[in-house]
Amino acid sequence: MDLGWYESVVGWLEFASQRLPELWLRTGQHLVLTGISTGFAIAIGLPLGLIASQKQWLKAPLLGVIGVFQTVPSLAMLAILLTLVGKIGFMPAAIALTIYALLPIVRNTVTGIEGVPPDVVEASRGIGMTRLQQLRMVQLPLAMPVLIAGVRTAAVVGVGIATLSAFIGAGGLGQFINRGLALSNTKLILLGAIPAAVLAVIVDGVIAATVWGVQPTRQSDSHRYLSKLKPIALALPFLLAAVVLISALRDRSPAAGRGVHTIRIGSKNFSEQLILGQLMAQMIEAHTDLRVDRRFNLGGTMICHEALASGEIDLYAEYTGTGLVTVLKRPVTSAADTAFEIVSKDYREAFELEWLEPFGFNNTFALTVRKSDAEQNKWRKISDLKSTAETLRAGFTAEFSGRPDGYPGLREEYGFSFAEVHDLEPSLMYRAVAQREVDVICAFTTDGRIGAYELQPLIDDRQFFPPYYAAPVIRAGVLDDHPEVKDVLDRLAGVLNNETMQRLNYAVDENGRLPKNVAREFLIERELIVDE
Amino acid sequence: MIVLNGVSKSFDRGRTYAVRELSLHVEDGETLVFLGSSGCGKTTTLKMINRLIEPTSGKIEVDGKDVTLQDRVTLRRSIGYVFQGIGLFPHYRVAQNVEIVPKLLNWPAKVRRKRVHEVLDLVGLPFAEYGQRFPDELSGGQQQRIGVARALAADPKYLLMDEPFGALDAISRDSLQQELKSLTKRLGKTIVFVTHDIFEALALADRIAIFHAGRMQQIDTPQNVLSAPATPFVRELFEKPARQLAAYQESR
Repeated sequence: MDLGWYESVVGWLEFASQRLPELWLRTGQHLVLTGISTGFAIAIGLPLGLIASQKQWLKAPLLGVIGVFQTVPSLAMLAILLTLVGKIGFMPAAIALTIYALLPIVRNTVTGIEGVPPDVVEASRGIGMTRLQQLRMVQLPLAMPVLIAGVRTAAVVGVGIATLSAFIGAGGLGQFINRGLALSNTKLILLGAIPAAVLAVIVDGVIAATVWGVQPTRQSDSHRYLSKLKPIALALPFLLAAVVLISALRDRSPAAGRGVHTIRIGSKNFSEQLILGQLMAQMIEAHTDLRVDRRFNLGGTMICHEALASGEIDLYAEYTGTGLVTVLKRPVTSAADTAFEIVSKDYREAFELEWLEPFGFNNTFALTVRKSDAEQNKWRKISDLKSTAETLRAGFTAEFSGRPDGYPGLREEYGFSFAEVHDLEPSLMYRAVAQREVDVICAFTTDGRIGAYELQPLIDDRQFFPPYYAAPVIRAGVLDDHPEVKDVLDRLAGVLNNETMQRLNYAVDENGRLPKNVAREFLIERELIVDE
Repeated sequence: MIVLNGVSKSFDRGRTYAVRELSLHVEDGETLVFLGSSGCGKTTTLKMINRLIEPTSGKIEVDGKDVTLQDRVTLRRSIGYVFQGIGLFPHYRVAQNVEIVPKLLNWPAKVRRKRVHEVLDLVGLPFAEYGQRFPDELSGGQQQRIGVARALAADPKYLLMDEPFGALDAISRDSLQQELKSLTKRLGKTIVFVTHDIFEALALADRIAIFHAGRMQQIDTPQNVLSAPATPFVRELFEKPARQLAAYQESR
């Protein structure tokens, strides 16, 4: 008998049970985020809906504007708010979720009020209710079922969208999904996705039960005996609030000692960044008295940069080419020394940020194909693709497809385009080419999967790709307060060449090891920290 | 006494008139029935009395006071109103529906409760059995009794009734008419009652005002209206049912 599924389920449950404290914490954060934003949305949306239901001319424009907000993709919304708010974490996430929750609440308020039977409204007027009394005593209570349906929609959608908030460091169950995606770890992804789905069902159920609980019992109810359960239904929301409160209190306790002597380290959301983040964090913890707050898995370059520039984090590892092109919007340069000089100078002047000594490796792009295809077609360098490019399918990261030193510039430099270009997650790209779903990808030269999946990077014969040497970027103010941080991080200068970085990445990406342990073993091996 | 003096109402800035140059008075303690077909202006006139609709011109006085000089909300609370669509509040229990106007008038809770019992007894739906029900747990006839109870709750001197029994079956309508008649005579209420039903008008009215196309054709006691119709429209109005009855008897 095949017990494969049974074993996977048991395996996953075991995996989950080992992470119960964090699961508890993330669930709490998730609920707080969803709860507060839904609460705000009610506080804003209900009055807006009431006004719109009274003033006909206002209705269409108001619903239109809120509807437009709704169409902004979640990640774009988070990025925009990050820039506007100038902070990462809870605030921009809560604002984004509030904006998304507005539409169902406003629209259902309007629909609910308009659905109140006109003879009842006329009666309320005719017996001498003021406008406000009509609204409060008659229209609002009768619109309530529709209104509550809107709140339920908002809350359930909120639980879903809140998973994306982890991209900007707001925590929640998305943290597991995010980390799981970065590490290609399905168990981790499920650890975020399953509880989030369960949470959505629970939240919806609790609201429904509460509404049922407050409804008066009618003589004509067919199951009147069930009404004895109403006190239990009414206790559910308090139970949920208690869960949130307890987890919020737990969340606070470890951070109680957080003060000026903490270094907050950020990272983007892929393995190499997590490893670099861990290397820097463990070095600082081992050789200074400073505490380290790890704010990893932020969703992309601009989010990391905004967070650093606004002082939400103190330090993260950036690549020279990315700093040059994505952040500074400077033209591409292929000379490594020039690139480092430019970013050092411009970052200092524009943002008061310092580039420290690079780690050594150059994680640039390489157009990469299957080794078998390369041998068969005698492809060695990028120019060799020119004659067949129009029959090839490419799979690129969204970032590569968009940036000038990515596909757009490449097309111009080499003078050819691919037949199809698919936007792929970095972690899915390698599997996609290995499984022949695409033919060409934009691999990173330090990626361990190039070897493991039998892929062949093509030589950049026109030297189009700029150098991407990774180095710590730190706020100048932090260096002034804690000069020892520079000394410690300088000890990591030049210790990682491309092959070493590939090996560390492979350990995380393919062997499923934790970045924390991979980083620790490397530091011990190089005698940079002492094994205790 | 309610006095209407040269009252007109146009909904389209004077192109057409729903009510035109209407003057009449309602004596204290009498039941005046507005009779006419739909669109004749009878409901518009009724609604102008408690300012659900504002007249375009003319003057309306209730108890000698110009209604336009009174606060609309206060005015409406002092006049009982029974609605065509009944208009009970579906989310309130029967007792809550009945006590709504006393509540708006800030009567003490004890007085309110006592009054709810009294009024529910008056309309024959005792509190003990019906007070805690919701409107949709009552029959149509019972619902409109509650509508009447709601209008009577604050013990208003005047009662405006807009086709209150229009949606009921003939038997409940008949019994409600009888009850209303004895009830209001006992309580001494002044009533303006709108209907398009000739027999209902004849059964309830002390006087009948017949409306046609925004103008009042005649106002008089039922006997006088029948014996001396003032216009061809009025004669036709009362002859038609008599002819129908005769034709029916012949056909048997």
